[in-house]
Amino acid sequence: MSAAPSSHQAALRLPSLDRAAVWIVLVVLLLLAGLASDAFFKLNYLTNLVRQAAPIGIAAVGVTFVMLLRGVDLSVGAVVSMSAVVCAIVMDGKPGNLWLGIAAAAACGAAIGAANGLLIAFGKVSAFILTLGMSIVVYGLVQMGTGGTARGIVSPGFREVLNGRIGGVLPVLVICLLVAVAIGIFLQSRTRFGRSVYLIGANPEAARLAGLPVNRITVIAYAVSGFFAGLGGLALLARTGVSGTNPGAGMEFDVLAAVVLGGTTFAGGRGGVGGTFAGVLVLFIALNLANVAGLPFAAQLTIKGLIIIAASAAHSWIGRRASGRTQQ
Amino acid sequence: MRPFAAGAPAYQRLPRIYWALIALVLAGTIAAPQFRTASNIANILEQSGTLAVLAIGQAFVIAGGMIDLSVGQLVGLITVLSCMLFEAYPSMTLPVVAGCLGLAALVGLLNGELINRLRMSPLILTFGMLSVLQGCIFMLTDRSIGQAAPSVAFLSNGRLAGIPVSLFLVAAVAIVAYYALQRSVFGWHLLAMGNSADSSRKAGLNLAALTRIAFLVSGLCAGVAGLLVAGRLGTGFPNAGNGLELDAIVAVVLGGTPLKGGRVSVVGILGAVLFLGVLNNLLNLLQVPAFTQIVVKGAIVILAILADRPGRLAQAA
Repeated sequence: MSAAPSSHQAALRLPSLDRAAVWIVLVVLLLLAGLASDAFFKLNYLTNLVRQAAPIGIAAVGVTFVMLLRGVDLSVGAVVSMSAVVCAIVMDGKPGNLWLGIAAAAACGAAIGAANGLLIAFGKVSAFILTLGMSIVVYGLVQMGTGGTARGIVSPGFREVLNGRIGGVLPVLVICLLVAVAIGIFLQSRTRFGRSVYLIGANPEAARLAGLPVNRITVIAYAVSGFFAGLGGLALLARTGVSGTNPGAGMEFDVLAAVVLGGTTFAGGRGGVGGTFAGVLVLFIALNLANVAGLPFAAQLTIKGLIIIAASAAHSWIGRRASGRTQQ
Repeated sequence: MRPFAAGAPAYQRLPRIYWALIALVLAGTIAAPQFRTASNIANILEQSGTLAVLAIGQAFVIAGGMIDLSVGQLVGLITVLSCMLFEAYPSMTLPVVAGCLGLAALVGLLNGELINRLRMSPLILTFGMLSVLQGCIFMLTDRSIGQAAPSVAFLSNGRLAGIPVSLFLVAAVAIVAYYALQRSVFGWHLLAMGNSADSSRKAGLNLAALTRIAFLVSGLCAGVAGLLVAGRLGTGFPNAGNGLELDAIVAVVLGGTPLKGGRVSVVGILGAVLFLGVLNNLLNLLQVPAFTQIVVKGAIVILAILADRPGRLAQAA
């Protein structure tokens, strides 16, 4: 009998540990980084780090929603590429096309996302394989559109504004990332869509029986993911200035690593955009540390893979412990 | 076990992909005169060797209801590593081959062991492993490196009496896989696990061991495929394996093995590999631009898994 209260305590403690884990990791990592190089405590360096993280961070906000749904979106890297290319081509160096280019990029992203969502919701297929296939299709379309060379010029002002720093301190891209995170948190906690995503992810069958519009929410979630990937492409374009042909190559790994680090695992129904934001910061500090330590760039790929494996193993372990205790 | 009743006429027992293959070959014969030549057919068979071995390895994993996304980069790693070693130790071809196959099998075993120990979804673990292996490749080299040993090149490019040597290798692998998957107790257990892991555990099957063996076979096949790629390219190209895991999965699914496992057809997989090879060949012969070909391949991935829908399979069975 005496075991009952303690198991209740554990059940209460573990889910909150789940949510806090990534923030604890973030603080510890930042302190360690500070020991390795005091640059990590300088405001300029830190804001620069977050600025670098903006394209991946913005895309990760969208992917968080499909992961909460037990889905996954591996097409974000290709969508980021497409968005950057479409935006640069539509802008064509003319100031008047600025907003048109931005709208076209975001719309293309949302359209690809919606296509993913429709195929997954109504085709009942593996999101993993489908979005991998979609990333090949999108990559091919981008290459067909560009003919394999960098095309298009950004409108004057686009780079200047987005790369500026407000008051000479706070980069505009950091604000863009924070706004994206704020929109994500609003969507997940203040809208019916957000709550439905959690319920469907936690138990799709129960959600369906309870009358939630599972298919519609799925399509919207993938469209949101594509939309944010489109915005991520814009952020990337602002940073580089030229569209290239495949600037988003491999970005899906960074995004996935960040989301999983943030506590939104492949099991769905747990985690959220706030954790994803912390996950992005942890990932970038870790990759920066690897750079400072003099590891070759290729080592970063290995580190990302290990982070994906270790973080999802750790979070599912916490989840198992928590649910195991409550069942007892 | 068998998708069709044993008493059904032969043409009904033929996996469905063969009808698509026949149609494609007929279309090719009409559309492209170069397609009909014996040397082109030998070429298709030769180029399909890598994918055939890789897809058969993937079949072991998929039959058990799992998936291995790391094989593409494992092929790349073995290609690069073997060519580096062949060049460094020209007289030690056999030990290098054995070492590379051993390493590939070890990576597969590691996949299986981690899935068992960490109780992780194979999809996630092998996806992470994909990135890990890619990092390993690029830590070794960022450009083509080394040179394949002549005997390995002969295995991929050579001809015996006009027949590609790789065809014999594929035939050997396919026969072993057929007996292991469709005619042995191990195969029965693996398919049972694919049908229902829960019931299989309750029936006393050793799921951990089955997982380990399936991933070990998948890794070993990736090693063989990596050596074949090394022989065909003649050098260690770091991107050689990019996307091959998807091609392998598509071949398995097109061959009539559902992604959720529980059923498998080695003969079907061979048909699907040939189908993809012929399609690739025809797109090249008809001078379809390279970028359009990428879109076509992506579309085939999507169509293949849409055709794999559970409802459809229930109708077919």
